[in-house]
Amino acid sequence: MSKTSRTLVTMPKVAAKGEVVAIRVIVQHDMESGFRHTQQGERIPRDIIREFVCTYNGQEVFRADLHPGVGANPVINFFTVATETGSLEFKWVGDNGYTSSVTSQLTVS
Amino acid sequence: MHNLARFSWLWSTALFAICAWADPVGSARQSSYALMSPENRAMQDDPSQNPATFWVLDGESLWQTASGKRQIACATCHGTEATSMKGVAASFPKFVGSALLNLSDQINVCRQTRQEGEPYAPESKPLLALTSYIGQQSKGLPIAIERTPVNALALEAGRTLFYERLGQLNLSCAQCHAERSGQKLGGNPIPQGHPTAYPLYRLEWQSVGSLQRRLRNCMTGVRAEPFALGSKELVELELFLMWRARGMLMETPGVRP
Repeated sequence: MSKTSRTLVTMPKVAAKGEVVAIRVIVQHDMESGFRHTQQGERIPRDIIREFVCTYNGQEVFRADLHPGVGANPVINFFTVATETGSLEFKWVGDNGYTSSVTSQLTVS
Repeated sequence: MHNLARFSWLWSTALFAICAWADPVGSARQSSYALMSPENRAMQDDPSQNPATFWVLDGESLWQTASGKRQIACATCHGTEATSMKGVAASFPKFVGSALLNLSDQINVCRQTRQEGEPYAPESKPLLALTSYIGQQSKGLPIAIERTPVNALALEAGRTLFYERLGQLNLSCAQCHAERSGQKLGGNPIPQGHPTAYPLYRLEWQSVGSLQRRLRNCMTGVRAEPFALGSKELVELELFLMWRARGMLMETPGVRP
């Protein structure tokens, strides 16, 4: 897996103050479990995403640890409460120096 | 009287068998999309949920990247707009000169003759990405494979393969996908085997894969030695299956369980 990869974030652009906002993120990653072998019998080393963090204007609102049992291209659905206009940063960190991050804007009216 | 009753019983049984064992045609044909769970259908329908979107986006950037000795991109000849290859995927496999090519083969031909670069390995990520990107432009269009004097021989060869028993289980494609489609195999519904959504993201594979990969899966399933990727037999079978699904709508890039 390369050091970074594509991501897709689905969330509303605008929300009312106090509204619960649904966020869906999906990241491109093979999530090689480390338990598989090649046809020659060699073990394929583990190469997975280890951690996902979402920060809302710098404050952490969601965190998840990922494990070898998680499938490729993991999807994470979660919620947060719209408090103020600002940016949400999504960051994935994994084996072999992998990091991906993306930022989305949320306008609170 | 007794004989007559027995004869008519035999006759009606035979007639029933013929009706029940026919390959579904026309509007009786069904994409295996219809057999999927609502969750998997939603995954296919929504590009922001469909993992194959990553392959399409990778394909889009490859499309615009100069490559090979001549340092030209696909877009240099075919255009940069995302609809420049509309309908192309619905017309493959087809004869280009004397060779029957599927879309991935055609991409590699372009790479070798136009870009003067190395062909992509079969089933490699960049090849699947470009095939998905071009395929996605035909989404919603009917499969446009007609029987012509040029492809008739290959089409018949593909049909023969479809109806030929193979492997230790001694099964043909048709015995499951034509005669017993809609019934169950190990708790799962048997699809009619129309290749409307390839290349597709198969959850079991955790990846996008080609129709040839899927065909080889089935051959392993009946304990036959699968034809090699890129072999003449697999392309002929692809041609027959696409012809069999002619008029059905393309779903590329699909999702299947």
